[in-house]
Amino acid sequence: MAGELTLRVITPDTIVVDETAESVRIPAADGSMGILPRHAPMVAALDTGVLTYKSGGQEHALFVSGGFAEVRGKTLRLVTQAGEKATEIDEERARAAEERARQRVEEARATGRRSEIDMLRAQAALRRALMRIRARTGR
Amino acid sequence: MAGIRELRGRIKSVGNIKQITRAMEMVATTKLRRFQDRATASRPYAEEITGLMGHLAAVLGAEVERRPLFREGEGEATAVLVVGSDRGLCGAYNSNVFRALEEWREGEDGPVKFYAYGRKAFQYLNKRRYEVVHYFAEPPLEQIDYRGAARVAKYLSDGFLSGDFREVRVLYTAFESMVKYVPTWIDFLPVKGDKLTGDDEAGSTGDVILEPDPETIFDELVPRYLETRIYNALIEALTSEYASRRVSMKNATDAAGDMQSMLKGQYNRLRQETITKELLDIVGGAEALR
Repeated sequence: MAGELTLRVITPDTIVVDETAESVRIPAADGSMGILPRHAPMVAALDTGVLTYKSGGQEHALFVSGGFAEVRGKTLRLVTQAGEKATEIDEERARAAEERARQRVEEARATGRRSEIDMLRAQAALRRALMRIRARTGR
Repeated sequence: MAGIRELRGRIKSVGNIKQITRAMEMVATTKLRRFQDRATASRPYAEEITGLMGHLAAVLGAEVERRPLFREGEGEATAVLVVGSDRGLCGAYNSNVFRALEEWREGEDGPVKFYAYGRKAFQYLNKRRYEVVHYFAEPPLEQIDYRGAARVAKYLSDGFLSGDFREVRVLYTAFESMVKYVPTWIDFLPVKGDKLTGDDEAGSTGDVILEPDPETIFDELVPRYLETRIYNALIEALTSEYASRRVSMKNATDAAGDMQSMLKGQYNRLRQETITKELLDIVGGAEALR
């Protein structure tokens, strides 16, 4: 494998990851995208989802919520509002959040068309919860 | 002359005040450090977002000026977000902000509508009978996090987009050093496109892949950019507030110390005098009995 790639995940509160990786898979807005060393310069919008990367022969997973990915030189930078390492995610809490979000989706559906924004919000919350669980459990 | 008992009481109460102000000084010092750390921690994110903004603005070129948040608003009024503190006892922190506000108003003819963050700012605006559209009371300024700041940014840009305002400005206190905090204005909206492109490194624009396309990325990016500006302003205002509070509490502690030693001097002199007088009485009495 030629060259290396520095992965840096930046959130408003901290820098979550700053290490070299052999390959990275990011949840881009258009679908999952693989990034290897010596990738061409790029800026991509991110979706809420799971970021995985290989470093030192080990697979790591991370929950990210929105934001952008930028490849410049040998660095892949992710600026996202939430970045949580899979190992630090509280699965029980995520499951509880999923449950709450499902209820909200049901409620929004029951109240009909006027609550379109509520519906979107609830669905976004549900998606975040599901992605957290996926990052944690690997499925 | 004050009685000896009275003096003793005053020494004690000044000592109590000194203890309290010293405790407040220490609290302010730790909080100051915490907000400074948070300001440092948020810098990489803000820099990256700002860098991307400049980059995308350069790619889009003149197209940028046609985006809604970049054009002057349709409304007449200017909206101003004033950031003050929730609590007092922080020296001239709030009054400096208000003075800057009044100075600006003198040169401003058009109508102005206000947003307030921090109870003191809200109270001031109310007392002056200025029109306050919204007072951000939740979460309390001290507990602000990025999401809270994002909500404020959204609120302001929604107001701007609905055509209520010509422009939106933010008045906060910039933290320049431990002893210097300056009330500062931000031209929040419309975003000035020409200022963005300035800091992009030349030559990096041409051959960059943009997924899905520059417009989509840009429209996602602008709100993030506005959020970081608000977040920075709020955190910096908090840092200034606590730096200011720390200095004024330190001054109060020092002043209490001075007063205490002065009162102690008085007290000792008075005590000495009383003892001398009593001694003279005893000696005089004994003399008379002889």
